[in-house]
Amino acid sequence: MEQSQIFDDYVEMYDRWYDEHPRIYQSEVSALEHFVPWYGTGLEVGVGTARFAAPLHIEYGIDPSPEMAHLAAQREITAVIGRGECIPFCDNTFDFVLMATVICFVQDLEKAILESARVLKFQGTLILAFIDRESPLGTEYRCDAESSVFFRHAKFHTLDEVRNVLTAAKFTQQEVIQTVFEEYGSKPSGFVVIRGIKEGKKAP
Amino acid sequence: MRRKLLDILCCPVCKGELTLNVVEENDVEIVEGSLRCGTCRVEYPIIDGIPNLLPPEAEDS
Repeated sequence: MEQSQIFDDYVEMYDRWYDEHPRIYQSEVSALEHFVPWYGTGLEVGVGTARFAAPLHIEYGIDPSPEMAHLAAQREITAVIGRGECIPFCDNTFDFVLMATVICFVQDLEKAILESARVLKFQGTLILAFIDRESPLGTEYRCDAESSVFFRHAKFHTLDEVRNVLTAAKFTQQEVIQTVFEEYGSKPSGFVVIRGIKEGKKAP
Repeated sequence: MRRKLLDILCCPVCKGELTLNVVEENDVEIVEGSLRCGTCRVEYPIIDGIPNLLPPEAEDS
């Protein structure tokens, strides 16, 4: 089954998770707030039901699932049905691009990162949030993956792998933060947020 | 979709310009219509105000 079809079929279950896990959800939003600029025009790739785009005031979102995109539009996001590997926006359009808990579902991560770079303005910010494969949370997700409709076909990445992809796409000034949950003994849990800056001279 | 969105949209495949065809529009947005890439000769639908710009191969898979 196509991944986006799964998100179409289980959109309500997906969206309900955020209401059922308010503490985790809020900690993730807080981590993203650390890097998502409060100014400028933003795009969320894999916007889902806009659970991150709405509180972070991100104006535009794309998602391959029509059901997800329609729910995002109800949350006042300008939603477009589309894929991260072939973003349907012009070059140098956005001040920042966010991909939150999405890269494990992307079929071609390198291509998606290059596409994000293309639509970013020079000195624009790319923010990636993901579950580190080797972290306590990543181990838990991988063990439970077979029983999850969403994560059954997910491909988790390590922080080093993601750093290498960003570096290859010429993103500089990389910075990382991680959320911490008590369940993991106050060690970094594995929800990683990394940001990089697109090389080049900013337009006057 | 609002008309101003067309200014920043492009073909997901060739990144060329898209031509808008409106079937239904209200005071706020285009509700039904299509976006056509002349280079790729592909028409992308606008349904319930949301443009579907999935490339053809992605929709077929």
